[in-house]
Amino acid sequence: MIKKNVICSFCGCLCDDLSITIEDGKITGVDNGCALANAKFLGKERLLKPVIREGDSIKETEYNTAIEKAADILKDAERPLFFGWSGTQGEAQAKGVHLCMLLGGVIDNTSSLCHGPSILAIQEVGHPGCTLGQVKNRADLIIYWGCNPLEGHPRHMSRYTTYADGFFLKNAFRERKLIVVDVRKTMSSDVADEFIQIEPGGDYAVLSALRAIVRGEEKIIPESVSGVSKSQLKRVADMCKEARFGALFFGLGLTMSKNKYKNIRNAVELTDELSRHTKFTISAMRGHWNVYGANEVFTWMTGYPYAIDFARGIPFYNPGETTAAEILYRKECDALMVVSSDPAAHMPKKCVEHMADIPVIQIDPHKNCTSFFTDVQIPVAITGIEASGTAYRMDGVPLRTKKIIDADFLTDTEVISRIYERILEAKADV
Amino acid sequence: MSELLIKNAYVIDPINDIKGEIMDIAIKDRMIADSVSDSAEVIDAKGCLTLPGGVDSHTHICGTKVNFGRYMSPEDMRAGRGRAQPHMYPVSGYSVPTVYANTYRYSALGYTTVLEGAMAPLEARHTHEEFFCTSLQDTMANTLFDGNWSVMEAVSDKDLKRVAAVVGWTLAAVKGFAVKVTNPGGTEMWGWGKDVGCIHQKIDHFGITPAEIIEYLIRANELLNLPHSVHLHCNNLGKPGNYKCTLETMQRTPNLNDKRQTLYMTHVQFHSYGGTKWGDFCSKADDIAWMLNRKPQIAIDMGQVMFGKTTTMTADGPMEFNLYRLYNNKWSNHDVELETGSGIIPVFYSRKNLVNSVMWSIGLELALMTKNPWQCMLATDNPNGAPFVKYPEIIALLMSSRYRDEEFAKIHPDTGKRVHLPSLDREMDFYEIAVMTRAAQAKALGITDIGKGHLGEGAYGDVAIYPIKNNDIDPSRDYSKIIEGFSLTDYTIKSGRVISRHGNCLLNGNNRTIWVKPKISEEYNMSNDPEFVKKFERYYSVSMENYPVEEEYMNKRNICIETETGL
Amino acid sequence: MKFEMITGRTIRQGEFVEHKHSAEYSEETSSCHINPVDMMFLGIMQGDTILLKSVCDEVVMTAFEDSNLKRGSVFVPYGPYCNRIIPNETHGTGMPDFKSSVVAITPTERKVASVYDLFKDIGGREL
Repeated sequence: MIKKNVICSFCGCLCDDLSITIEDGKITGVDNGCALANAKFLGKERLLKPVIREGDSIKETEYNTAIEKAADILKDAERPLFFGWSGTQGEAQAKGVHLCMLLGGVIDNTSSLCHGPSILAIQEVGHPGCTLGQVKNRADLIIYWGCNPLEGHPRHMSRYTTYADGFFLKNAFRERKLIVVDVRKTMSSDVADEFIQIEPGGDYAVLSALRAIVRGEEKIIPESVSGVSKSQLKRVADMCKEARFGALFFGLGLTMSKNKYKNIRNAVELTDELSRHTKFTISAMRGHWNVYGANEVFTWMTGYPYAIDFARGIPFYNPGETTAAEILYRKECDALMVVSSDPAAHMPKKCVEHMADIPVIQIDPHKNCTSFFTDVQIPVAITGIEASGTAYRMDGVPLRTKKIIDADFLTDTEVISRIYERILEAKADV
Repeated sequence: MSELLIKNAYVIDPINDIKGEIMDIAIKDRMIADSVSDSAEVIDAKGCLTLPGGVDSHTHICGTKVNFGRYMSPEDMRAGRGRAQPHMYPVSGYSVPTVYANTYRYSALGYTTVLEGAMAPLEARHTHEEFFCTSLQDTMANTLFDGNWSVMEAVSDKDLKRVAAVVGWTLAAVKGFAVKVTNPGGTEMWGWGKDVGCIHQKIDHFGITPAEIIEYLIRANELLNLPHSVHLHCNNLGKPGNYKCTLETMQRTPNLNDKRQTLYMTHVQFHSYGGTKWGDFCSKADDIAWMLNRKPQIAIDMGQVMFGKTTTMTADGPMEFNLYRLYNNKWSNHDVELETGSGIIPVFYSRKNLVNSVMWSIGLELALMTKNPWQCMLATDNPNGAPFVKYPEIIALLMSSRYRDEEFAKIHPDTGKRVHLPSLDREMDFYEIAVMTRAAQAKALGITDIGKGHLGEGAYGDVAIYPIKNNDIDPSRDYSKIIEGFSLTDYTIKSGRVISRHGNCLLNGNNRTIWVKPKISEEYNMSNDPEFVKKFERYYSVSMENYPVEEEYMNKRNICIETETGL
Repeated sequence: MKFEMITGRTIRQGEFVEHKHSAEYSEETSSCHINPVDMMFLGIMQGDTILLKSVCDEVVMTAFEDSNLKRGSVFVPYGPYCNRIIPNETHGTGMPDFKSSVVAITPTERKVASVYDLFKDIGGREL
């Protein structure tokens, strides 16, 4: 059997045109997917049963026991941290927020380690963006800044930008110009019409220089800015102004490098400036398939996209203080629940150390580095394969991922709901 | 079966022509009934003002752009924080509050039904997800068609039935309620960084005009027999001199429906501006009201501006960019492929600012100069003119010329030369306020037949009891009591259950989403139309199969209004 | 020699991100891409092990020649190896310096640790 128009729950592109071949209830083929989609849909290894750590050994157990253990840990916690959420369905994210509200904990999603700085910038200067189809149909200039789509989002260029057919472009590939800005050459920069190689940490200065040139102040620009020649900057500024529709996409090259959110602020302000000359938009290349969904769900429920502390009964938000890396580094939390994420692999060692000292609950179909610290890991159905659920694409378009094969696993939503119910019952008993 | 008896209520129920009588209201199993048994729960209204649950026919509370307003505004979140209560979640936000804050605050004002003013079809799931959490109000979504390629192509072909078929397919697919048109053609032009001027400017590529889009959508709307009329946000919002564009749009509106208006024009305050630039900016509310008084086929909402901080958000992308260039504050924009656009910026309406003072006056003038209150709803285009929590102040302004005079004395001193407000001495009564805040809104939306907006037998048991006693209060003098009284109900009852008592929300309100499904023959079913299918295959970034909103996004109580159509 | 360490996603890292206990994941995320001229100055060849030291810790990786990098920068696919030496400082933003931390690189005879070994000494326990 072949299922068409399947939505891929790997990256923020949420490509919805995959064809999946299923034989005897198992996935045997993936068409239209990238290498990452293939790995996801054809992946075999997974945790089959909940596990509980007892001393130095790890024991398989049943859902009920694992859920009870998780509830016990959380009940006893004074300052639990709930982290992850970018790899799960929106319904589970909402349940997670309610669980955190109930316990007065801190909830953060993986944005704090990817586009958190972009959110901080947007909170300062806003975000002139659009949906990906708008770019596909209109844009004759694409800029990728601090990202390498061919590796990070392998089909971004073919579905939405460089190689995508568009309504207003007869021969999209030829009519569209591609600019790549990076500190190193990449697969993506190899296909660019214009590659701007910046010295590490130089993005802010280069963005400022472009803003100045677009404003007609090129005389104040020195011959070279962070390794980029003035003539190239002028050429690029002209390309931007002459475009009918320019679309700037940026990645972690801006959020994780020196100046952090100020880089994004500058990129947004360049977009604002260009909007006075032509049509220009800017968009973040969101990584995990539903990290944007985590931001959306957290926002409508609590008012903030990430890093929310309920310890005082009101939602309190202060990234840099209430973000997961800090809570862990300061050894503040006394329990950690990780949902569909791997902070042990993706956070600096100094933040990971505290995980050894506190109980860790993990809700994830796969063993990962966080599993080295886990006290109870509960495997769940993989959303987009074994369960359906809501996801938000990197441009905010909400889609419903599909269940394409049956599996005997609870969903994230069911597991978190059951933990929630247990805690509620326990609270009622007191 | 649950039974509730509200005794000793001073009832105004305009749809049933009840203009203030002491009576009892019986609710049996969610609905208004003739009588209940002796074992019914009893609420003693003690002669207090009792109205059908409030209906807001134009507000922005759920969906992509609302949530982006929250996302980009932590400062607004901090301005409205509240702790968790026994049956309430903690809340954040003032002008763009969280879903829970919205639902709690609306219920404290006595509102049980709200219409989200703008939903992009492509992003409909988001709106419905938030509706799900808006647990104390029934919800509906205006669905945007201002820049819909398939609609514009059909208009270009002068194919009315095709326009209707596209609209019908889309409304059913995204579980929308009504046809919303925001700056028709302007949002498509904004895809190139441009805008349209008034209604006769041609739209690039499609070669049609806003006037044609409006005309065809109005006729398609009637062909589909939809409960609500076309809901229009006119071209040229916020520009000096735009009243001419608004007047012409009104002038062109046919009268096609005898049950309700043929065109609902929203936040008309923003479209009633005279002058040629900000320097000679003035009110043209008189001309707009004059036209409205001659056009029973049109209903409007005020779009009242109130002083203070708020957030503007609309599908009108180019307008928000213009506003950004005035304020130089933060600006967000979000174009939606093949359909529409949107923009957001925070604003501060200052009483020291002449333009803002004139805007404040215009909204009130529109309401006071419209003879028939059924044609003018009380709304702020929440949160564009002001957050909805300001409604009680607007009610007081409409009921008290003394309050208006006092406020007028505090605004920019040059305002008097540019507006008509000081010469208006009309003071509205409770009946007119009841019309403007629920009855007219329910009628305009076409939901009285399904039991919303009134207290007739068989209607939903949605009731608001305000701590206001008609005989003890002179609204003209005691306007502060009016504000107080309308700010916090003694009881808000939805579907026969108390959902808010003195602002303490008591339980989940069994919210429902109301949506429409026009019955369309196979011949006009767009799912089979090659050109329409091609739009998804080639130009949308989402496949046709993944576009419609699934049943999972509706709770089981949802109300689907199926309509008989001419297709 | 001192270098600016940049980390980032790669296709291979992505393919094995849900299989962190695989040899492929370990191999990919412990590879350190270096400009060939810098490698010459370091006196190392492709496949040699190198020691990366930062202000907070050190870790052994495998050198990988990459002329796409400018001199003075090294690139490491994102994962537990680079995180061993990235400081926790976020400058009040919540975001550590994943793409701008300074490391000293020297040749070493030591072997690349397994993913588990990386976590064992900070209290990680085998599954």
